[in-house]
Amino acid sequence: MFSKNSKEKGIESVLFFISTLTVLILFLICIFLFRDSLLLFKETSLLDFLTGKFWYPTSVNKQFGLLPLLLGSLLVTAGSILFSVPLGIASAIYISELAHPKVADFLKPFIEILAGIPSVVFGFFGLVVLVPFMQKTLNLPTGQTALTGSIMLGIMALPTIITISEDAISSVPSTLRQGSLALGATQWQTIYKVIIPASLSGISAAVMLGIGRAIGETMTLMMVTGNAAIIPSFPGGFFGPVRTMTATIALEMGEVPQGSAHFHALFAVGSVLFIITFIINLIADSIKKKYRFKVG
Amino acid sequence: MTKGVQNVSQVQIKVDNLNLWYGEKQALKNISMQIPKNSVTALIGPSGCGKSTFLRCLNRMNDLVKNCRIEGKISIEEKDIYGPDVDVVDLRKKVGMVFQKPNPFPMSIFDNVAYGPRIHGADRKDLDSIVEQALRSAAIWEETSDRLKSPALSLSGGQQQRLCIARTLAVKPRTILFDEPTSALDPISTARIEDLIMDLKKDYTIVIVTHNMQQAARISDYTGFFLMGKLIEFGQTRQIFQNPQEQSTEDYITGRFG
Amino acid sequence: MGLSSKTSEKIAFSLLILATLIVAGFVLIILGYIILNGYGAINLEFITQMPNRMMTEGGIYPAIVGTIYLIIGSMSVALPIGVMAAIYLNEYAGESRTTWLIEMAINNLAGTPSVVFGLFGLALFVKYFGFGPSILSASLTLALLILPVIIRSTEEALITVPKEYRESSLALGVSKWQTIRHVVLPAAIPGIITGSVLSIGRVAGETAPILFTGAAYFLPRLPDSVYSQFMALPYHLFVLATAGTNIAKTRPIQYGTALVLLIIVLSLNLVAVLIRRHYRNKLKI
Repeated sequence: MFSKNSKEKGIESVLFFISTLTVLILFLICIFLFRDSLLLFKETSLLDFLTGKFWYPTSVNKQFGLLPLLLGSLLVTAGSILFSVPLGIASAIYISELAHPKVADFLKPFIEILAGIPSVVFGFFGLVVLVPFMQKTLNLPTGQTALTGSIMLGIMALPTIITISEDAISSVPSTLRQGSLALGATQWQTIYKVIIPASLSGISAAVMLGIGRAIGETMTLMMVTGNAAIIPSFPGGFFGPVRTMTATIALEMGEVPQGSAHFHALFAVGSVLFIITFIINLIADSIKKKYRFKVG
Repeated sequence: MTKGVQNVSQVQIKVDNLNLWYGEKQALKNISMQIPKNSVTALIGPSGCGKSTFLRCLNRMNDLVKNCRIEGKISIEEKDIYGPDVDVVDLRKKVGMVFQKPNPFPMSIFDNVAYGPRIHGADRKDLDSIVEQALRSAAIWEETSDRLKSPALSLSGGQQQRLCIARTLAVKPRTILFDEPTSALDPISTARIEDLIMDLKKDYTIVIVTHNMQQAARISDYTGFFLMGKLIEFGQTRQIFQNPQEQSTEDYITGRFG
Repeated sequence: MGLSSKTSEKIAFSLLILATLIVAGFVLIILGYIILNGYGAINLEFITQMPNRMMTEGGIYPAIVGTIYLIIGSMSVALPIGVMAAIYLNEYAGESRTTWLIEMAINNLAGTPSVVFGLFGLALFVKYFGFGPSILSASLTLALLILPVIIRSTEEALITVPKEYRESSLALGVSKWQTIRHVVLPAAIPGIITGSVLSIGRVAGETAPILFTGAAYFLPRLPDSVYSQFMALPYHLFVLATAGTNIAKTRPIQYGTALVLLIIVLSLNLVAVLIRRHYRNKLKI
């Protein structure tokens, strides 16, 4: 009898140990990213890195300024959110409030297809279709622009935003809906005065996750944004090439000698990226918790 | 102050001053009773009175509930089941339980009944006879003998419940707890289960929670009436129903009660 | 505004429909474009032959093989770990600080950009453990990437197993672990398979994590051990489209590669959806 009990205990301990591996992995990611990043600051001060305006990693006078890359990432992400949030929320409202259930049942998995397409395929599509299209339509020297990146990224963020918003909207209790309609409000008034406010926190969690996905996207942006490491102006910068943090790492890591300052600088960029997404995740998480509490 | 039932030669379950809390809320207050061997004991009372909670103390299913705290003593076959050396898993082998909703596993009829014995290490060659024996005892052999490999979920609700009883019998318990076993069933299935329970008492000690007073009157030898976490009255069923000692028992039995 | 509520409702609803049509249009255009252009390039030789003449001719066989190795490698690490972690979290863990920490770690791993996993894989597996750029390093990196997906989908599958199954098994005097092994896990298998299939799709499509952990621009022969470098479909497409010897001339191969990749990933997703649909209502008591 004793041995059986200790076997049960043993199994539980093994399972516990394995689930703590996730914490260990996160911890190791921090250690290994930060360790190589810190070596950069032997050559460049943290302040110079964070506020430097020039990313010249290979010239004689090496400069590792994060700003052009950070602003590039932020610009493209902001554009993608401006593009995908209205479109996504409008579709989510249509699917959960207006569409015939059969239509909704078709649309949901159909839009989910977007979530399954590999980012390199999005990048390829952007490169062969959207880039030439942008160049011609807007009469630009190159179609590889921040705007092109924003549009592709926006399309990629759509399924995340639609699925989560749709969840939030359809979890609004139907009593609220009926209450409003019974007061003589039209369906549209009910939607924008009752349902949207009630599902707002769910929708904002969706937007946060969309931002997280956008800022970490690599392959698509590398293929369509032109990768010029210059500080973009606003809003004119949308029409020129930019280089994001993710694309910088992906483009340059293959070429740099390991252990060089450039190598460490790329890890430092990775650390910044990691910290930004970490914070975004925490925010999305706490919004989600609140919203669950409210609905449940 | 053990209530009712004097001069019982063989006591199967003995409860002394049982108290139970869910967090801050006390759900059972000072319950004491002695449940005789090879009898059917019915626990009745309005919903929320603690009768199911009490039942779940007898095989320690309340252990699964968070923040559940128990004081007092329960002995089954003279062994303190909350004692430090007790293996809960072993206890539950000896004290079987049948639940309110029929809940066969999503496996074949045969595998459902063989599930317990297999895990408890029964010999492969004995399984056929164990399963047949259990299905016969649960009065469902005739209906299932030709389709033991078909899924249990294809049976009707009443058949599923008898299958669950067979599943419990196959583990060879000595006590069986029934938690409102017929509340989800139609009258004909209910009657068959009631017949079965009365038949089983020659080999098992049976405790049944029911909200159906006719059922308690029909099948039980002893009845306990619970109200707001207290055991109000406990005694022979005939006496409880014909000559209750407490006013609240009488109110409940005669239907003058919420 | 001077609009009547009826008119403004009409305008609003038209805009909502328009937005949905645009979104659905994106799906159609992207799929349609790749399918129409890639369709002609795909034939038996294309998927069974080595690339020729600096990758301007021939097939994509080694890239398909490499992707399959990555799937096998990463799944054989992530699946057991993920399932066991999910079992702990759903069946054993109480509300404690450690549980909170584990949940937080999983959420953050799920949100960490894939290129950061690539950096980490480079630092830990390629350099620190000395596995070099190899199938092993890349598989382990991808395993970390899909671990949260597998944990979450397994947890979801475990939650949908009715608690009555657990109770009635425990009431038969069956121990907790045996209950999990013999009743809970079998009932959760469809959900676990769904999550695994989605993860496989993810492994097949990811590029950034394998960039520095072992993906090769071109290899004249197939990998012969876990320490070999490899070619993989998504990286192959990237290389052909951006850095190939003759980008314009190899367009048909690019479309073909994109379509093969799309077919693999989307059919895996479809399988996952079908499994989910098929079993959704089977577990209800």
